[in-house]
Amino acid sequence: MFGSYKRWRSSRKKRLKPETILKIRFTLFRMLILVLFLVLAGQLWKMQIVEGKNYKQRADYNRLRTVTVPSPRGIVYDRNKTMLVRNIPSFTVSIVPADLPNSDQPAVIGRLSKLLNTPPEEIAKAIEDRRREIRLFTPLPIKTNVDQRTAFAIEEQHPVLPGVTLQIEPIRQYIDGPLTAHLLGYVGRISEDELAKREGEGYDLNDRLGKAGVEGSFETELRGRPGRENAEFDVSGRKVETLESEAPMPGNNLVLTIDLNLQRKMAEYLAEEMGSSTSAAAVALNPKTGEVLGMVSLPTYDNNLFSGGISNQNLAQLLNDPKHPLINHAVGGQYPSGSIFKVITGSGGLQEGVIKPSTTIFCTGSLSIGGWTYPCWAPHGVVDIVKALAVSCDVFFFSVGGGGNQGVVGLGIDRLAKYAREFGLGAKTGIAIPGEVPGLVPDPQWKMDLRKEPWRGGDTYNLSIGQGDLNVTPLQMANVVATVANGGMLYRPQIVREVLDANGNVVRPFEKQVIREVAVSKENLAWIRKGMETATGPWGTANTVIVPGIKVAAKTGTAESGRKDPSGRVIYHGWFLAYAPAEDPQIALAVFHSDGQGALTAAPAATKILRYFFGKEETPKPPAPRS
Amino acid sequence: MRPQIWRNFDFILLLTTLLLIAFGLAMSYSTSLTTVPAGTPYLSHPTVRQGLYAATGLVFMALAVYMDYRVFRHLAPFLYVFTMIFLVVVIAIGTATHGSRRWVDLGPFPIQPSELAKLVLTIALAAFIAARQDKVKKLSTLVGSFAIVAVPVVLVYLQPDLGTIIIFACIWLGMALMSGMRITFFAGLGAAAVASIPFVYEKILHGYMRQRLATFLDPASDPLGAGYNVQQSEISVGSGGLLGKGFAQGTQSQLHFLMVQSTDFVFSVVGEELGFVGALVLFFLFIVLLFRCLRAATRSQDTFGRLLAVGVTVQLLFQVFVNVGVNTRLLPVTGIPLPFISQGGSSLMTILLSLGIVQSIVLRHKRLEF
Repeated sequence: MFGSYKRWRSSRKKRLKPETILKIRFTLFRMLILVLFLVLAGQLWKMQIVEGKNYKQRADYNRLRTVTVPSPRGIVYDRNKTMLVRNIPSFTVSIVPADLPNSDQPAVIGRLSKLLNTPPEEIAKAIEDRRREIRLFTPLPIKTNVDQRTAFAIEEQHPVLPGVTLQIEPIRQYIDGPLTAHLLGYVGRISEDELAKREGEGYDLNDRLGKAGVEGSFETELRGRPGRENAEFDVSGRKVETLESEAPMPGNNLVLTIDLNLQRKMAEYLAEEMGSSTSAAAVALNPKTGEVLGMVSLPTYDNNLFSGGISNQNLAQLLNDPKHPLINHAVGGQYPSGSIFKVITGSGGLQEGVIKPSTTIFCTGSLSIGGWTYPCWAPHGVVDIVKALAVSCDVFFFSVGGGGNQGVVGLGIDRLAKYAREFGLGAKTGIAIPGEVPGLVPDPQWKMDLRKEPWRGGDTYNLSIGQGDLNVTPLQMANVVATVANGGMLYRPQIVREVLDANGNVVRPFEKQVIREVAVSKENLAWIRKGMETATGPWGTANTVIVPGIKVAAKTGTAESGRKDPSGRVIYHGWFLAYAPAEDPQIALAVFHSDGQGALTAAPAATKILRYFFGKEETPKPPAPRS
Repeated sequence: MRPQIWRNFDFILLLTTLLLIAFGLAMSYSTSLTTVPAGTPYLSHPTVRQGLYAATGLVFMALAVYMDYRVFRHLAPFLYVFTMIFLVVVIAIGTATHGSRRWVDLGPFPIQPSELAKLVLTIALAAFIAARQDKVKKLSTLVGSFAIVAVPVVLVYLQPDLGTIIIFACIWLGMALMSGMRITFFAGLGAAAVASIPFVYEKILHGYMRQRLATFLDPASDPLGAGYNVQQSEISVGSGGLLGKGFAQGTQSQLHFLMVQSTDFVFSVVGEELGFVGALVLFFLFIVLLFRCLRAATRSQDTFGRLLAVGVTVQLLFQVFVNVGVNTRLLPVTGIPLPFISQGGSSLMTILLSLGIVQSIVLRHKRLEF
């Protein structure tokens, strides 16, 4: 052993033979081969064995995605099961940012921009925004409701449009468009805020949801439950295999309370008498149940514009329109009521004993009190409650409300306001249509809070005839007349009659909802009804309201709007309330024109509506064909 | 040829070669499953084509076995000049893919001359050094051999193709070291190389090469661009685990998250579908192959044969190492095919021809036969 060491030492001193050098180098070469493969094997060990689980997860993240399967949205019918809205397929062009390579992005955006006629910057910005949110696998809708030819062109160019997908999704088709727009509303893409608010309800970024009308208020019913699908996708986002799935549950269908044909006639006749009104509304209720038989607000809009995602231009046009077509004036418009309020003043007066049915007042054409003169629209002579309603005598109701005339001690503001609220004014009815406003019943407290002024006697006189600061909605007034007609039941107006499941079974039947039984006796209300019946008689303000064979009870109203048109003409609101037949009311109706007169515009429109309702049109027009 | 020399035929080398060809065809089949459209003509199917390339390559191999390898020593200058002209032609009229011209389209067989150049460079270097065997320790031999490799390096740089340049350099370095040149020369050369790195990075490296380096250092910096496939290949290999996801069952490859999977990134498919064990089997085959080639080198009767076998070994070793290194995040992306496994006719046929020459060296080694 020692010897061999010595030999090695001594051989070092000599020059190595070339063969030996080569031998050493070959041995080193063999070792190099082994070492290099050992390095590779070591790296593989580290990646596949030590960190394998982590990489497996990343591979699964690549290929597995959970997608929601939209549930078919519920269908909406009118009370006769006529379809009002259905789902039709539409093409949506989307981009999955994860599948769009950065290097191809400008070219793809360029091609897409040309095909869709959308500015390239808009597309680029949307993609960048989505990239920043790191939601790379959620398809980003670029354009909805694309026509078929463009859709085919995009499908054809699929190889040069990486990341671009064509989705077929159902959109809403509102068969009668503007006619039912305010009732049905529309659906739109969920906003960030709405998404946050509805967290946990299974909405995702691209979902649509009801935003107005019953689409909005019955969103939960109509939407159903979206399904889920856990599926394997390839790199281009094509689904390869469904691993597990949960079927979507279709939304429930709604049967509305409205009668589409009545709705159509109401819209038609309301428009005929609209004149220069910027808005008009008509509401027909079933006075026995609170069902809305028809509800029209003019001007209206085509809710189909929203179905595929409304263009900014169209939306701006609707929002900037001075006539506010998007507002449902029947529930979202508030106006002074004028003389139709006298129904409430009269009810309160009788109930509180301020007047008796036999009480008479002599109307000279005005009431002078405390240095102020309150004019009547005509001298009416001797009037009792019935005649006062029939001829709409202001002096009579000034006296009932404010008192101080011919021995009548008036109700005073507190009691007057109490009866107004009793009949549902100053509060939302609670109808299931978004956008309802409560209106306003003014009182001393309100005036002091808002205007820092004390309540004056004149305010009470004004309120007695529905003037001043009183604000009501057409729906509220329709409900007032319905309550008078049915003997004192204030029902909550309802727009949906039944909820049906996808198979047509009734999930939720109709039930009347009572807000309250108003604190006015049936006898006293009978006197009010008698006054309204007389109003359509020969001397009444509504003497033009003639429906052959049907006794109509009515009240006209012409309210000072407090505004003038550009030529200086004072603008009045035209109001009309009616129910019929008087002996067994089937319909309660409120008609409103923002620029009109109760007897001259609202009454004629109401007459035609009532004639249609009772099948008494002189020349019955066939309903216009539906698109 | 005398019949008794067949006793020396290296059947282990042949068997290993055939097993590697089979391995390559299997991977080609796996990667073709979801990429080849239904109704593709039989002869256009990549696996069938690869099989035809292998068959052609085996014919070349047989011819090379039959021929005396020393013929190449005399042919070396012609082969070298011819191949350099071929490389110039590629730059002039070649077909560009991914921004570089590497292919010459000859009807149904596109040819990548840089693959052939690897073998020809090996032959030329072996012939040059063998001719100067007695002056092998002189600096002039080193410089001369450097000049021989410099020409194809410049030509390939113009294509550009970083991977091939690296292989050329490895072939030269390996052969020079194994020829008995002075180690001290290489130390000086190494120092010079390190000193020139900044210059090379700024002036020589093409933009794509620099980007690949940057991507290698931080693939997450551009996950959808240059870094995409680096990440995907890493995920593919890593998710394979011990036994892999099963042949043709790789989710990364079959769903196309992994790109260029039949060529430069085919090892990621091996790792994903066959796992650690499958990769080790492949490594084993390569190690056997390389050792058999070195065996030929040590038994060669002359310097030319020895250096030729060394050159082939070096080329195969570094192609395997760099390719697998790229696929396992050890090295930056360089487009080097994995011998036998990556699809591509030029590479496969050249390698089979080279192995035929190696076999020819074994057959004619210096031990006398009686």
